[in-house]
Amino acid sequence: MTTAPINVPVGGPAGEARRRGIGSRPMVTALLTAVAVVVSAAFILPAAWILIGSFRPTDDILSSMSPLSWQLFVPSHVTLDNYSRLLVDSGFSRALLNSAFVCIASVLIGLLVSAMAAYTLAVFRFPGRNLVFALVVISFMVPFEAIAIPLSQQFISWGLGNSLVGLILPGIGNGLAVFNLRQYFLGIPTSYREAAMLDGASEPRILFLLYLRISGPALTNSAVLIFLGQWTAYLWPLLVISNTRLQLAPVALASTFGERSADYGQNFAGTVLLALVPAVSMLVLQRFFGRLSLTSGEK
Amino acid sequence: MTALRTTPDRPEPLRRRRAGRRLELFWGAVFLAPVLVSLVVLRIVPAVGAISASLYKAFPGGIIPATYAGLQNYRSLFGDPNFNDTIVRTIVFNLIINPLQILVALLVAVLFVQRIPLVGLWRTLLFVPVTVPVVGSCIAWGAALNPEGPVNAIISALGGKPQPFFTSPGQALACIMVIASWIGIGYWMLFLVSGLQAIPEELYDAAKIDRAGPVRTFINITIPMLRRPLLFVLVADTVANFVLFVPVQLLTGGGPQSSTTLLMFEAYRTSYAYGSRNLGAAQVVLLTAIMLFFVLLQFRLLREEGES
Repeated sequence: MTTAPINVPVGGPAGEARRRGIGSRPMVTALLTAVAVVVSAAFILPAAWILIGSFRPTDDILSSMSPLSWQLFVPSHVTLDNYSRLLVDSGFSRALLNSAFVCIASVLIGLLVSAMAAYTLAVFRFPGRNLVFALVVISFMVPFEAIAIPLSQQFISWGLGNSLVGLILPGIGNGLAVFNLRQYFLGIPTSYREAAMLDGASEPRILFLLYLRISGPALTNSAVLIFLGQWTAYLWPLLVISNTRLQLAPVALASTFGERSADYGQNFAGTVLLALVPAVSMLVLQRFFGRLSLTSGEK
Repeated sequence: MTALRTTPDRPEPLRRRRAGRRLELFWGAVFLAPVLVSLVVLRIVPAVGAISASLYKAFPGGIIPATYAGLQNYRSLFGDPNFNDTIVRTIVFNLIINPLQILVALLVAVLFVQRIPLVGLWRTLLFVPVTVPVVGSCIAWGAALNPEGPVNAIISALGGKPQPFFTSPGQALACIMVIASWIGIGYWMLFLVSGLQAIPEELYDAAKIDRAGPVRTFINITIPMLRRPLLFVLVADTVANFVLFVPVQLLTGGGPQSSTTLLMFEAYRTSYAYGSRNLGAAQVVLLTAIMLFFVLLQFRLLREEGES
């Protein structure tokens, strides 16, 4: 088991290309670059189309779709009308606020719960410690969707349907956050804790004023994991919320898309707004995500 | 520490240590309680609840209490040819999409660790779709694959015949695979890139000295050294695709002609649209069982290979 904390270089994704190439001849490099450009274009063009489309009138999107022309990606004129209609006229800004509230509450409570568990599982010695750790991590690895339908029925029978509490609760148990924080805590020298104990510090003091204070990167990663889980949640709010005033942004966006007259401009603007936060946080943490597979495999 | 003390002092630190130990147990219990409670409430209660609900029978929305029915729900599910089709469709969907996504992700990852200009940029561009929430991706592709949409415009421009995509029972499921892959490949690629970069350079140098070609180097060094990340992404991808829900619910509603009715969507529809809670629970149990079977199978196959 690794004891070193997962360190996250918060630099750009521009990684070092390794010299394990098939060849170094210019022809090969040119060919590989061409393939890389084509592949990346295939992945980025749909996203670019959405982004550009969100700044143009729906008629413009529709008329430029077919036949193929350069106008597919070049608006006849640029407008913020889609955004203003979406945010002002429809209930989408309310849904965004609901989402933001649920996410922030989930992150705060989730971090507290995960950090307390991770601390116990990292520094205390007691029989069955590894078993508890494995149980926590594995059971939270079971995909939430598989359990969502029966759980939503339980929540509704407990009176948690149509409530923000019902939306927040499933976000607070996160096995990956516990795992991630525990790995980091294991890397903190035990002498720190011993010194604090000699000074008469209690366990909560040691956790909150010592451990959490020096665990910035691990806390950031865990916060992002919890945040993204809630920000992109679709099935769960669909199951437990029927009151549209309480609905979260992804479901609100989907419901405008489902209506008969497709207002692409507005749909695209909603997609961009929804993608903004995850895009920024995930692009920054790309490396961390990639490394998860390596550390989580080393049990 | 205590060994150095003289005899008269001994009882004091011993007692303090025992008190400290008791205090540690107390705080340990307090700190662990929330996570254990949420584990029980959020995972164990619904899992047990689903299994037990699947063994009862009730009338939708009825006032009559549910009665114990044993395996009758399962028997009636398996007696329904439509449901059997759904199971087969779900398994076939996963047998195609999981290897395909991982293979493409691996090829792309290998490409993106070569020494090519601006490799970081290409990698980031491929990762962008991952950051779009699934609802957004479905909206994007729903519009792009509209029969009068830009994809058909491209096909026509290349001289092909416009395709019906989501409106055809023969193509709708393939379209869902395209959407899931557009999102998934960049994500799994990232894990594989990290795995590739963790392979020691010396192994490649040794292969070069042995004059191994690129294909042999790939099969004899890259693949074996990449087993752990490969197993991880394959299992995680399988799990994700067995519970794939949003594109079906948002774009096809299971149609046309049930061609995109996957088990996850079917369980949702049975539980909520049709209100058959017990039958829906049985479907959830079956979905989880099938998914676990495939996950364990992958662990077995890839682990054993590693040990031999």
